[in-house]
Amino acid sequence: MGKIIAVHSYKGGTGKTLLSLNLAATLVKHGKKVCLMDLDFRAPSLSTILKIENAPCWLNDYLNGSCEIDKVLIDISEKASNNGKFFVGLANPTTEAIRDISAKDRKWEMRALGRLLALRNSLLNDKGFNYLIFDTSPGLQYSSINAIVSADLVIVVTTFDRSDVNGTKRMLRELYDLFEKKTEIVLNKVLNEFSSKSWNEELQAKVKDIYNAPLLGVIPCFCDISKAEGNFIFVQEKLEHPFTKILDSIANKVDSIA
Amino acid sequence: MLLVYHSCTSVKQQEESAVSSQEALGKKPLQILEKIRENLEKLNEKMEVMIELQKHGKKDVQPIPEAPLDVMTLLSMPDHLRKTAMTVCRLGRATADDIAQQTRRARAVESAYLNQLVIMGYLKKERKGRKAYFYVDRETHEG
Repeated sequence: MGKIIAVHSYKGGTGKTLLSLNLAATLVKHGKKVCLMDLDFRAPSLSTILKIENAPCWLNDYLNGSCEIDKVLIDISEKASNNGKFFVGLANPTTEAIRDISAKDRKWEMRALGRLLALRNSLLNDKGFNYLIFDTSPGLQYSSINAIVSADLVIVVTTFDRSDVNGTKRMLRELYDLFEKKTEIVLNKVLNEFSSKSWNEELQAKVKDIYNAPLLGVIPCFCDISKAEGNFIFVQEKLEHPFTKILDSIANKVDSIA
Repeated sequence: MLLVYHSCTSVKQQEESAVSSQEALGKKPLQILEKIRENLEKLNEKMEVMIELQKHGKKDVQPIPEAPLDVMTLLSMPDHLRKTAMTVCRLGRATADDIAQQTRRARAVESAYLNQLVIMGYLKKERKGRKAYFYVDRETHEG
């Protein structure tokens, strides 16, 4: 039975999309069948990164009930060039679509939750996907909370920015805990040297102290990632880069979480 | 000879009718007992709701006709109801037994919470034979 993972954060710009995309690609590299879904309807980005301008159907259409999920999924396994299978479901990036989804009411959001929950049967059970990865909007947006409720595991991407730390602490207490979600923290954009073992242990203790949640991984600030400008999937192109190694370790941990 | 045959036939008919009426009599008490059990179960459910209402106070159980069970509503619910509502959302359609298996709480407790959620307008309840199924009615809200 596969797993649904929601990648979420309190603030924007923490690296949710970077992590979602590269985690999905790493799991594909490990031979898994993965579907990455862009649930950041207010600022869709996967279509741009993957250079797919026109999808036959968008995730917006699936949540609207106007098409089936099979029509939304795009097979990009060729780009991955390895044993796994890589599919994506994209959010419509047009201004009109963003405006439309921002104006949805509670009843629509309730139906959208039903459709997200239905993916467990249609994709994990029937189509044999190992992972569905939801890339979400930051903070307490309807679409993000729908994704969190539907997920088995929530990966919270956070930085050491004070407002981000405080907001993440609040979300752990007032959102993920209330929904009894298994939560793992990924620290991103960490400035110090990351190679020392003692420093890593210190970070583990610090995260446990601040969040009282397990630390899934620490990603230092890599200029190479900024230089890539989101033009390619990093872990696929830079096989020997430390970022790729870290993602390998995160993917292995995710795989071992029951 | 004909008379003997006739009397034999009529005795046979009488015997058959006696057997069928005995069967009917035998079945009837069973049906009556089934009906009593059904009614007792309904009564039990109502009492469980009343007990829960007393325990948690009426403020938690304000009836709202066909209220949408969205995530913000789930967040604002008291913990004990959220757990039940979340499980129904996940299972889609479930009996109190199904929910109790997931939440590891007693069936009677889940039955009470489920019925509270029905009163609050968040869930629908449908009886099929002796089983009561609870579900989120997303179709009614279809816009």
